[in-house]
Amino acid sequence: MNYQVGDALPPFVIECVSPEAMKQWAVFLADPNPIHLDVEVVKAMGLGDRVINQGPINVAYMMNMLMAAFPTGRIETMNSRFLDNVYAGEKVTARGTITAIDGARISCEFQLDVDGGSTVNSGTATVLIG
Amino acid sequence: MDEFPPAPNVAGVSLDGSKVFIISAAENAALCRSTGIEPAADGSAHPIYYYIATQVAMGKTVAGVCETCEFDVADGPMMGSSGVSFRGPLMVGESYKVTGEILSLVRKQSRKLGVMDVLTYRLRLHPADGGDAILETDNVWVLPRKELAA
Repeated sequence: MNYQVGDALPPFVIECVSPEAMKQWAVFLADPNPIHLDVEVVKAMGLGDRVINQGPINVAYMMNMLMAAFPTGRIETMNSRFLDNVYAGEKVTARGTITAIDGARISCEFQLDVDGGSTVNSGTATVLIG
Repeated sequence: MDEFPPAPNVAGVSLDGSKVFIISAAENAALCRSTGIEPAADGSAHPIYYYIATQVAMGKTVAGVCETCEFDVADGPMMGSSGVSFRGPLMVGESYKVTGEILSLVRKQSRKLGVMDVLTYRLRLHPADGGDAILETDNVWVLPRKELAA
């Protein structure tokens, strides 16, 4: 494929963030933090009225966007900042743009947006094209 | 910041783990599908295992890391940022172990969160049978210090 600086990467969309996936991830992460599992705890902590997606799931969405955009590549580095929460039931979209190309190394910036809301994650990555 | 006691001095605390972490094909498949994709056909695991494997197999639990920082995990640690540098792909069926350490714990005041400690720690994932790390990750957590709120 022919990549150019400034190219927008195809977005990766999750139509509805799943509370069932949060239960799975509590096991994957060996971290039963109740804000991901029990809406009553979320309410009691004043954090909203729906369970909150684990931060690493949001990173995984952005990785999925990068892997789909560069099917022959692999992620070499990735830095992401957590700006806000993603709640069960929300639609989120990961987007990215190519910022530099150095041989087989492509640099990108990316973000994860909540539909109708704000950017909840953002960061940079380099991908090595095989 | 003079009105607050300093953050606990925890820089250098080891997070070396003794567990062996194996990425199972079944779990990798379930994880991939939970994020909206199918698992790779070439035996590579989802790269988010950089975070999962290092967290699960480091030498302290999340609650234990918080306890080291004199912070109750029930008070709600928040992820600030996460960075990773891979030297190769993570593979399904491979065995890994973790080394690492706390880099810093810095007390700050934020308009949004009040007094908070910013924890930075570094973890490396190695082949379980030895050798150079296949990845290194730096994670930053924010620990809100409600007890120090004005």
